[in-house]
Amino acid sequence: MKILVIGYGSPIRGDDALGVLVADRLEQDGVPEHVTVIARHILTAELVTEMSAVQRVIFLDAAIDLAPGTVRCQRLTPTARAASSMAHFLDPQELLGWCTALYGHAPESHLITGGGASFDYADYRLSPAGEFAMTAMLAEIEPLLYA
Amino acid sequence: MSRTISIEPVTRIEGHARISLQLGDDGAVEDARFHLTQFRGFEKFCEGRPYREMPALTARTCGICPVSHLLASNKACDHLLAVSIPPTAEKLRRIMNLAQFLQSHALSFFHLSSPDLLLGWDADPATRNIFGVMHQHPDLARDGIRLRQIGQTIIEMLGGKKIHPTWVVPGGVNEPLTQEKRDAMLKLLPEALEIARRTYDFFKTLLPKFKHEADHFGTLPTMFLSLVTPQGNLEHYDGLLRIKDAHGRIVEDMVPPEEFERLIGEAVENFSYMKFPYYKPMGYPQGIYRVGPLARLNNAQACGTPYADVALAEFHMLQESGPITSSFHYHYARLVEIIYAIEMMERLLKDSTILDSRVRARARSNRNEGIGVSEAPRGTLIHHYRIDDDGLITWVNLIIATGHNNLAMNQAIKQVAETYVNGNQLQEGMLNRVEAVIRCFDPCLSCASHAFGQMPLRIELKNASGQIVDTLIRVGECGA
Repeated sequence: MKILVIGYGSPIRGDDALGVLVADRLEQDGVPEHVTVIARHILTAELVTEMSAVQRVIFLDAAIDLAPGTVRCQRLTPTARAASSMAHFLDPQELLGWCTALYGHAPESHLITGGGASFDYADYRLSPAGEFAMTAMLAEIEPLLYA
Repeated sequence: MSRTISIEPVTRIEGHARISLQLGDDGAVEDARFHLTQFRGFEKFCEGRPYREMPALTARTCGICPVSHLLASNKACDHLLAVSIPPTAEKLRRIMNLAQFLQSHALSFFHLSSPDLLLGWDADPATRNIFGVMHQHPDLARDGIRLRQIGQTIIEMLGGKKIHPTWVVPGGVNEPLTQEKRDAMLKLLPEALEIARRTYDFFKTLLPKFKHEADHFGTLPTMFLSLVTPQGNLEHYDGLLRIKDAHGRIVEDMVPPEEFERLIGEAVENFSYMKFPYYKPMGYPQGIYRVGPLARLNNAQACGTPYADVALAEFHMLQESGPITSSFHYHYARLVEIIYAIEMMERLLKDSTILDSRVRARARSNRNEGIGVSEAPRGTLIHHYRIDDDGLITWVNLIIATGHNNLAMNQAIKQVAETYVNGNQLQEGMLNRVEAVIRCFDPCLSCASHAFGQMPLRIELKNASGQIVDTLIRVGECGA
């Protein structure tokens, strides 16, 4: 099974960097050969081709509607809403919708979000609650990296 | 009884722009204004920062074309250092710029504008969107994705996978190209060229359907500004400034970019935070000009690559004589530039010196004023800095491509509104055409100009006493 991990968020807005930093940490620590990890500021259209070539996608993001330091895991399904700006996507489900429309299938998908405490300017630095969420996110990802 | 139609927000990018149409007693459009209501202040808050931070700071001006700001900013810094960067570094920067053109133009054509072009201006908005295109033209939609991916992949191969790469630096680039990466990039280009040529040929078959739009979508007698090579050919990274008028007469030529202030003035209006650049010798607002793909092709005698030159010759034949004045043909010009970008990247990657290890000139600041000019996908981009003797920024001015086109966008909206707006009865097709003329320019504002179909819009038709006569609301699904 091929797995794609996509961490996204702004690296200069405090805990919004959670997805990116978790992706970076995964890469640093090493992942199995069947796993590809990428980090993005925003989700963009061309990611669909990479998504179409794998069996599972794990999105990593920060959330403001979660208690700081906590983590939420969701299964995602494709949506055919044309709500994004095309330059960037706010919703990974729309990307999955593109994947289905263009390639006839979408991979099994998970969204792991960590609750942040501070989204003020901070270059690749997390708040203590963000650090806690990062550790919890890494723990949630671990079993998903294997079939 | 005069009335005003207000379209707000035009842009969903934080919802900071709107259009207002002023109607006369007979319901005809008398004036149109494009209001950018977003204020950011980049030029001000960069003051006091070390000039070497400017590329990283200004790249964050834009999430869509950070590479353009990265390049213009580093060119301004090169100027501050008073160095000529190594030839290989210049070629590598050019490749990154062209890759940015590839992915940016692909986004504009395939995903932002194709629903109008393929499904029709008056199609049901519920299906006039990217999913409608995917349903009816899946191959074309996949082609668009693939071109974007190839452009983005080349940028990443050069700059590294980090968000906002720091590979381009004052004095050149900080790492030479490896043979492995060069070969990997070259491998991508034949497929890209095949897609680009196929799309170009397909687009030409669509043109007869859009004759009316081509005649009324910002068909304006403006001048055109762009960089050109010393031979007068298409240029995207360096070169000299050329201005051509609507009749094809060259008004200014071979002007060193450092002298741009002699050509360009900037006016302000109280209805927009976007400035209004104009050709200084003609004054404001007579000195209206356009930039971007249309201007670059109008100003270029040749592209200098085989397929793009054929396409350029066909582009010039869209009108019997003179420059192409219809803003609708920005779409055409983008496709020609995509072909050019691919061909030129291949040529540069095959250059015998492209793997040279000397890619950076090192120096301290050697002057107190630096100007960097390059072509961004949307047009000429100017970064102008002043620093003190400690290298701290004391003053910044950025003239971005969308700003250059501000006067023209206002006039284009007016022209479309005059042609299509019935002041007494608002129609969805009118809304879409007003949006569509903005998309021709591909302004970087803008979730709004980068969204379609479901863009949230509210148009109110009021009489002179402020009473709402008619309202048309389209609710967007996305609130960012």
